[in-house]
Amino acid sequence: MSVKVGIPRGMYFYKYYPFIQSFLTELGAEIVPSPETTKEILDKGVLYSIDDACLPVKILHGHVYSLKDKVDCILIPRLTSVSKGEYICPKFGGLPEMVKYSVPDLPPVIDTEINLIKNRNSLIKALYKMAFTLKFRNPISINKSINKALKVHKEFKTALHEGNTPDCIIGGIPKRQCKTNARIGLIGHPYLLYDNFASMSLIKKLRERGVEVITPDMLDQHMINELCMELSKRMFWSSGKSLIGSALFVMDNSSFNGMLALTAFGCGVDSLAGEYIEKQARRYYKKPYMVLNIDEHTGDASFNTRIEAFFDLIHMS
Amino acid sequence: MRLTYPHMGEVYIAVKSMMDDIGVESIIPAFTTNSTLRLGSSISPEAICLPYKIMLGNYINSIKAGADTIIITGSCGPCRFGYYGPLQMQALEDAGYNDIDIIILDPPREGYGKFLEGLKKVAGKNSRRIIPSFINAYKVCSELDSMNELLYYTRPRAFNKAELRILIHEFKKNITSVKGSAQMLELIRDTKRRINAVDIDESLKPVKIGIIGEIYTIIEPFSNLNTEERLGDMGVEVHRSMTVKDWVQNNVILPATGRKGYKLERKLSKPYLPVLIGGHTQQCIGHAVHYAKTGCDGLIQIYPMTCMPEIVSRSILPQVEKNYNIPILYLIVDEQTGEAGFQTRLEAFVDYVSSSSL
Repeated sequence: MSVKVGIPRGMYFYKYYPFIQSFLTELGAEIVPSPETTKEILDKGVLYSIDDACLPVKILHGHVYSLKDKVDCILIPRLTSVSKGEYICPKFGGLPEMVKYSVPDLPPVIDTEINLIKNRNSLIKALYKMAFTLKFRNPISINKSINKALKVHKEFKTALHEGNTPDCIIGGIPKRQCKTNARIGLIGHPYLLYDNFASMSLIKKLRERGVEVITPDMLDQHMINELCMELSKRMFWSSGKSLIGSALFVMDNSSFNGMLALTAFGCGVDSLAGEYIEKQARRYYKKPYMVLNIDEHTGDASFNTRIEAFFDLIHMS
Repeated sequence: MRLTYPHMGEVYIAVKSMMDDIGVESIIPAFTTNSTLRLGSSISPEAICLPYKIMLGNYINSIKAGADTIIITGSCGPCRFGYYGPLQMQALEDAGYNDIDIIILDPPREGYGKFLEGLKKVAGKNSRRIIPSFINAYKVCSELDSMNELLYYTRPRAFNKAELRILIHEFKKNITSVKGSAQMLELIRDTKRRINAVDIDESLKPVKIGIIGEIYTIIEPFSNLNTEERLGDMGVEVHRSMTVKDWVQNNVILPATGRKGYKLERKLSKPYLPVLIGGHTQQCIGHAVHYAKTGCDGLIQIYPMTCMPEIVSRSILPQVEKNYNIPILYLIVDEQTGEAGFQTRLEAFVDYVSSSSL
C-alpha cells in the first residue's frame, strides 16, 4: 500500500500544488489535499495557533488539524527562500515548528528545507531529500518525477499567465468567457486571494459583476523583477516584491480601471510593501485604489458594501 | 553635518563616544517619551512594528534640534528592520522634513563599495580614526554591560532603592555632557564605584528572571515600560539576554575576523529550530534554554506586536517551558502606555515564580 501524504491547503498551496502533486504521485505516493477552508477549519486553526499569528498561518493550522487522522504523514516544507537572494517571510521558515508545537497528536511532519537563497540547484537536492524521507530511494524514478513535476509546473504557469486563477486550474474548472466591463488589478498574497473562504469569494464576486481580474501570479516574473529595480533598496522578500512589482505594473498600465489590494491583519510584509504601494499611489496614481483588510471575521455584509463602493468609483472615473 | 541616530537603550552612549572620537558633531535625540511615540506613529503605517514608530519619533525630535543626517544600521535579512531606512526616508519627506540624509550601513556582503561610502560620508577626512574609535566605543559598551550587571545584582538587594534611582538619574544627566570615550569610561567607572557603595542585604536570595525576546524591545527601556527596573524594585534579579556589546561582538567583530557569532545560542536552539530563519529567533530560544539550564526561575519574552520572527519563537517556547519546567510570561508591547495592567501582570508572574521556586 502506498504512503498517504497529506497536503494542507494553506500558505503556498496555490503556488506549488501541481508541482508537488505530480512529483509525489509520480514517485508512487498517494496525495490527500485537505478540503477547501470552512468555518470549522478556521475555528480549529484559531484554537490551536497562538493568538497573534496572522490569518493565513491560523488557516494552515486548521488544515493540518483536519488532515491529521486521515494520512500517514503531512507535508509542511520549510520554504526559507524560493528565489535567489530573497526570502519569503520568517514565518514560512519556522512554519513546521509552529505547527508541530501547536497542533497535538500529529503524524510525522515532512519538513524538508527548500532554500534557494544561494542557487537554484539546491531545489533538486531538497527534492531528493524529501523523496528519501518518504522511503523512495530509486534515483532514476526520482529524477523522472522531478522532470515531470517541472514540466507540470511550467504548464501551470502558462495557464496562469493566460488569466486563469490557480484555484480554478487545480479544481479543473474551465475559464468562463463572459462580457467584461472593467479590468482591475487585484494585489495580494496567493494564500489570501484564492482561498475563497478567507477572501469571502472576492474574485468570484468581482467576476460576477463583469470585472476582469489580474492578480500578481498572472504576471511575468521577469517583468516584476524589472519594475522592482526602481526601488531605492533591494527588496529582499519575494512575496513583497511580487506585490510591489504588480502594483507598479497596474499603475503604469492605462488599460486598468482601478486597483484593489487584499491584506491580512498583522501581515508583516504587507505593512511595508502596502505602505510603499500606498505612497506611490497617492503620489502618481489617478485611478481608484482601495485596500481591503481581512481577519477572522466571517460576516461579509460590510465587505460587500466596500466592494460596491469601489465599483461606483470605477464607473464614475 | 550634524549627525543623529535613533535611541536603543544605551546605544546613544556608545555611538556618541565613537562620533566624539572621530570628531563628528552628533546630536543625541531627546529621550523617548510618550510624545515621541505619538509623533512617530502619526506618520507611520498602522500595522508596522513598534521600533519603527519610536525611531521615527526620535528622528523628528533630533531634526527639530538641528540634525541633518541620520545614521542607522541596515540588514537584508527576512526581518522588517532591513527595510526601515527607505520607508522612513519617504515618511520624513512626506512630513515635510526635506534634505535629510539617511546613511544606512548595510552589512558589507551587500556590497563593500556602498558600505565604505557610508563610512566615508560619516567620517569625512578623519576616516583613519574609525577603527581606533570603534575599539574605544566597544570598550565603553563592555563597561556599560558590567555596570548593568552590577545594577541587576544590587537593585533587588538594596535597602534604599531610591538612592540607586538617583544615582542612575545623575549618570544619565552627566553622560550627555562629557565628551569622548576616555571621559565616558571614567564616568561609568565612577558610577560603578558609587553603586558598589550602596548598602545591600547580602543574605537575600532573590528569584532570578531572564528576559528574552526581540532585541530592540528588550534593550530600549521605554518600549517595555522599564520592565527591568520594575522587576528589580520588586526584589527580582534580572538577566537580560541581549546587550549592545553582544550584538557588536556577534555581528561585527566575529564575522570580520572570519568566525561565526552566536555559537552557544545556535547549539542550544538546534533541537527546537534547526535553521536560521531571520531576526533573533534562534537566539531567543537558545537563551531560553541557556537560562533554564543555568538556574533561572522564570523567563519573560518581550516582543512588539506583529513581529514576524518572534511569533515563531513564541510558538516554540511552550515546548521549552514544558521540557525544562520553567514558567514563561509573554509580553507583547505596542503603543500602549498605561502602566497599571503591566505592573499587575508582572507582579502576578513574580508571585507565581517565587512560590513555585520554593
